[in-house]
Amino acid sequence: MALGKEQMALLYRNLIRADHFDKMMMNRIMQGKLIGFYHPGDGAMAAGVGASTFLGDNDILNPHHRAHGLGYAAGRGIDVGRYLAEHTGKVDGCCGGRSSFHWSFPEKKLYGASGFIGWHFCPVVGWGWASKRKGNQMVLMASGDGSYGQGGAHEAMLFAMNWKLPIVFFCENNGMAIHSTISDMHPMPDISSLAQGYGMPAVVIDGQDVFAVAETVIAAREHALAGKGPTFVEAKTLRLREHDVGTPDLARAEPRDAQYLEELKKRDPVVLATTRVLAEKVLTQKQIDEIYKEAKEEVAAIEKFADDSPIAQPSIEELLAGVYVA
Amino acid sequence: MSEVRELPLVEAIREAYRQEMERDERVFMVGQDIAGGIFPHTKGLVEQFGTDRIVDTPLAEVGMYGTAFGAAMEGFRPIVDFMFAGFFLNAASPILAQTAQFRFIHGSQMSLPMVITAACGAGMRLGNEHAMLVHNMIAQVPGIKVCMPSTPYDAKGLMTAAIRDDNPVAFIWHLGTMMDRGPVPEEPYVVPLGVADVKREGSDVTLVANGFQYKNAEIVADKLAGEISVEIIDPRSFSPLDIDTILKSLEKTGRLVVVDESWESRSTASEIAAQVVDVGFDLLDAPIRRVTIPNIPLPGGHMEPYVAPNPDAIEAAVRDVCR
Repeated sequence: MALGKEQMALLYRNLIRADHFDKMMMNRIMQGKLIGFYHPGDGAMAAGVGASTFLGDNDILNPHHRAHGLGYAAGRGIDVGRYLAEHTGKVDGCCGGRSSFHWSFPEKKLYGASGFIGWHFCPVVGWGWASKRKGNQMVLMASGDGSYGQGGAHEAMLFAMNWKLPIVFFCENNGMAIHSTISDMHPMPDISSLAQGYGMPAVVIDGQDVFAVAETVIAAREHALAGKGPTFVEAKTLRLREHDVGTPDLARAEPRDAQYLEELKKRDPVVLATTRVLAEKVLTQKQIDEIYKEAKEEVAAIEKFADDSPIAQPSIEELLAGVYVA
Repeated sequence: MSEVRELPLVEAIREAYRQEMERDERVFMVGQDIAGGIFPHTKGLVEQFGTDRIVDTPLAEVGMYGTAFGAAMEGFRPIVDFMFAGFFLNAASPILAQTAQFRFIHGSQMSLPMVITAACGAGMRLGNEHAMLVHNMIAQVPGIKVCMPSTPYDAKGLMTAAIRDDNPVAFIWHLGTMMDRGPVPEEPYVVPLGVADVKREGSDVTLVANGFQYKNAEIVADKLAGEISVEIIDPRSFSPLDIDTILKSLEKTGRLVVVDESWESRSTASEIAAQVVDVGFDLLDAPIRRVTIPNIPLPGGHMEPYVAPNPDAIEAAVRDVCR
């Protein structure tokens, strides 16, 4: 299904926003103004934006650690001020400043990154089971290629196909897991080849093309909501930088090839999308300039909100009161 | 007044499932071979509730557990059955690292109402995998409650409480109590989690015991009657732990023996001993004795009777603190 111009304009706007959010996080961790890690999404923000922008309000979304889910956050329309406040341990953080980067927006059914890579292959079965019973919602299960080494991934695919659960297994394959290359970790170049054993429909797409990603996920979502079961969508993407800021950028034990990385930059999704929206007259250069200006203003407001929020340091008694539902 | 009907413990659990599933459509069960009833606690439920609510899964504990975990986040109230409690370790990461701590880490914004249940215990000579008691492993983690019934009455009441609780609750039951009969009211009722029960009043020594070991404690108390007056306290829940009932008993007895069918180190017995020394030191007239499994994997074959806690070991400990 071809996208309309309004849909394309919205995707473009979200891509530019997500790209600005990622750069904001990069800047802040370099300045020491972020708690913990940042796993940059530089050059790979299209997949999350394309996968999340046209989900329904009831759909369940669970981004992984790459860019700390900011592509998905941009598409979902969450309050990124509260997201940044969480990453800086502030009282206005989306989880009260407790979660470090294991953030979530439960009221939006948006469950963010975990250090246990592939943790969400476990609850995704129940999210799918519940969604099937409710009938008006589905699950977008986002992960990287590395997480498909987890046994839980196979259990989730088994259950999803057995029970025809409304789940899209959305794999951002950037070919790297910390220092390990995909050829070291998987016998086949396409992670989606795993779906074959479960009889699950699978498709490989260009994860740098935000429009192609959105078109594919819209179709997979309709398939799921029609009761036809899960789909595996493999979005081929790339990793321009190190796994997380401060870690050496190695392939196995050697530095990644600089010339190869320069080549990858030609595949920057912002460059690709800008070329297309201009060529197809979806947006004018003036409108694009306005989108950039608004994204910068949004980032400034996000940072001000998070920086103005007080540090969260509740008493032990207050913390104890939060462990159980009374 | 008519006499209260008697049921085996396993049927008391099943009655709690049935009544709560009738009462609340959000309650469902998921496990392996529960429709057929590999243990009789689920027998016949599929005929009443169908396969939408008595859900059999492939042999895959992470996916099986995930059915419950994810559904609880979506407003359902699942009961997930691991068959034998040791098998829970196949899903220990999502249970202990994710589920239990999820609410707190994510800002105490959501609840995860679910029951994790399984059978356990020494007695069938099956070895560590099937017999392993896991209550202490689970109870160490904040955010999940843990209980184990000793009687059919407590079994129905604790299970009803566990299903109605808005937190994850591990309900472990001991195979050695499965067919024990006792009075069970027909109407639904709750035995509150985190509340211990004085099962037998006495004045010389406080004997804490639970599950199958509660039965051993009663054997010892009967044997010593007339010589040593034993007060038996059943903690019923390991987390939260009702230490106050134990301290109150010690005001009377001044002597404490804790039986825990678990390894000697870092067990509920250790925890009770530590808390009593911490806040009830002046109540003690003798050292605290723990009756537990020595720090060895529980062997199968013919070694269970002397490796696991037993009446002789309990009696020796009681006599020791009453010297």
